Amino acid sequence: MIPRPMLPRLRRKRKKDRPSPDILMPPEGVALTLPIAGVGVRLAAQITDVIITVLAAGCLLILLAAFNLTSPRTIFAIGALLFFFIRVPYYIVAELGWNGQTLGKRFMKIKVVSHDGGPLTAHALVLRNLMKEAEIFLPATLLLTLDVATPIESIASLAWITMGLMVPLLNRYRRRLGDIMAGTHVIHLPVPVLLKDLATETPVVSEDRKKIVFLSHQLDHYGAFELQTLETLLRAQSMRPAAGAEQQRQATIEAIVEKIRNKIGYADPVPPADRLRFLQAFYNAQREHLEQRQLFGDRRENKHYAQADEENRIGN
Amino acid sequence: MDNQDLMRSARFRKEREADWRRLEGLVIEAEGKGLQRMDFADARDLASLYRQATTSLAIAREISLDKALLGYLEALTARAYLCVYAPQERVGGLVERFFTSSAPQAMRRCWPFILLGFVCMALGALTGYLLYFENNDWFYVFTPSGLAGGRGPDATTEALRAVIYGGDRETTGLGAFAAFLFSNNTRIAIFVFGLGVFACAPAILLTFYNGLMLGAFLGLHVDRGLGADLAGWLSIHGVTEISAICIACGGGLKLGAAVLFPGERSRSDALHHAGRDAVKLALVAALMLVAAAFLEGFARQLVQDLNARFVIGWGVGALWLSWFLYGGRRRQ
Repeated sequence: MIPRPMLPRLRRKRKKDRPSPDILMPPEGVALTLPIAGVGVRLAAQITDVIITVLAAGCLLILLAAFNLTSPRTIFAIGALLFFFIRVPYYIVAELGWNGQTLGKRFMKIKVVSHDGGPLTAHALVLRNLMKEAEIFLPATLLLTLDVATPIESIASLAWITMGLMVPLLNRYRRRLGDIMAGTHVIHLPVPVLLKDLATETPVVSEDRKKIVFLSHQLDHYGAFELQTLETLLRAQSMRPAAGAEQQRQATIEAIVEKIRNKIGYADPVPPADRLRFLQAFYNAQREHLEQRQLFGDRRENKHYAQADEENRIGN
Repeated sequence: MDNQDLMRSARFRKEREADWRRLEGLVIEAEGKGLQRMDFADARDLASLYRQATTSLAIAREISLDKALLGYLEALTARAYLCVYAPQERVGGLVERFFTSSAPQAMRRCWPFILLGFVCMALGALTGYLLYFENNDWFYVFTPSGLAGGRGPDATTEALRAVIYGGDRETTGLGAFAAFLFSNNTRIAIFVFGLGVFACAPAILLTFYNGLMLGAFLGLHVDRGLGADLAGWLSIHGVTEISAICIACGGGLKLGAAVLFPGERSRSDALHHAGRDAVKLALVAALMLVAAAFLEGFARQLVQDLNARFVIGWGVGALWLSWFLYGGRRRQ
């Protein structure tokens, strides 16, 4: 008989086994990462777009008023009409022209992509933006006109709004109804920035200073996570510190150097002027060592790699 | 530093960095002006450099622990992927294709759903009409007071006639156009289409309810001997407008049917598939609503003759029908 707690655990495991929604497998067979844009950033882009279209409608309305084409009785209806006739083509034309980006999406660096990884079709963009009308703008106007006098209608519209809002939260790709119908989802556009390779930087060494050398067993204490944390720290050194932070930075560096020395058993004391050079040398040596181990199939995720190996062996 | 002194992953990077930089430049160019307008040599290089970069990424994941390098390659290949496999589609001829072929074809493909929309509306109208003659008070149940505009079983026949043939100058022109477009019917059309997704029921109910209102309204005027006059008043824009609601309902039903009966596909897949035709139906309905608002805002007040109203209303309706029936048919 299967013990009761087994079943939920099995289900959880299956959920974990599914590929992450951020991963896309191109025909080349190398998994690429296109992170899914969350609800928050999409809302921000949407608000930016609403502000832009409302401003455009407002300008036109003032223009119409200047030419005496409106009367106080109809100004509200005409304003709503202008907003409608500006926003509907705006989203479609912008996403067609910029291949899946409106101005708001460009600000937030997000982009609509086809769910199957292919090109965005005009039909998909039209559909997802028409559904936006029924999913976002109509409920929003309804929300403004909610009324205690008509409780049934109010409850019905509230139910509709919550249903519409729940759809993106309930699926892994954060797709709203329009996205599901059009077969699209929204991603963060990755920004490629190539920083300098720390390993190629030679610290200036004057002749009288001795070279810092590490022994092989001294490099067996850390894994990739610690190495990359050190990398982040060293990269931050090239930036100018804030006015009062210089002292604090020196203290941090000293603490880290002492910690590493204790851990790896590096006997020679490191003079204050040599601390950064020590860290740089340790980074190079550690990285070379870890990369070599990795080539031999010994991947060390972090400093607990030995325990993890042990557990795997027992588990198998 | 000498090349030989460098560690393996740094050498790896040094040898390929120039190619990555060039790919980065090409990606920015392709995103800026589109793949179609790039030089042949550049487009060819973009594709081949992208494939090299994916190989580099696969190798770097194995041999390098440099976070900066890995992050850069991840971002670069992902951006290049989008340029190579998801380029901008050509948008020329899109509008023309919609009008000449794809919209009428979609209408013909979806005829059962559209028919169902019309049936819902007609049944509603019939029910409303019969209920009105059973008891006049049903009118108040069906029609919100704002929409009736003072017309109801309490109003005098003269008042009803005045609304039908009244040339209320205040409400013509642009203001009236705007007011009518955002009147009840547009909202109902959007509701009917958008809510169809939730398993058809809201679309059917709303269309039926709209029919009820229409039927009660018709009943009121027939009761006072104004049946033909009301029919003329309604048909000048109503033929277009009520058809638009029924077509929107057809689109909503198509989506709802995909959710209810996905067949072999998964539900989201079926929805995606049904969306192709449904969006065309929605666009057609939107177009018809705009046309109806024009007719209502301008033509209805200008044309006071009963026969002319019938001719315009049903003539426009016949034009729509011939577009749906004969548009986009290929010659044998």
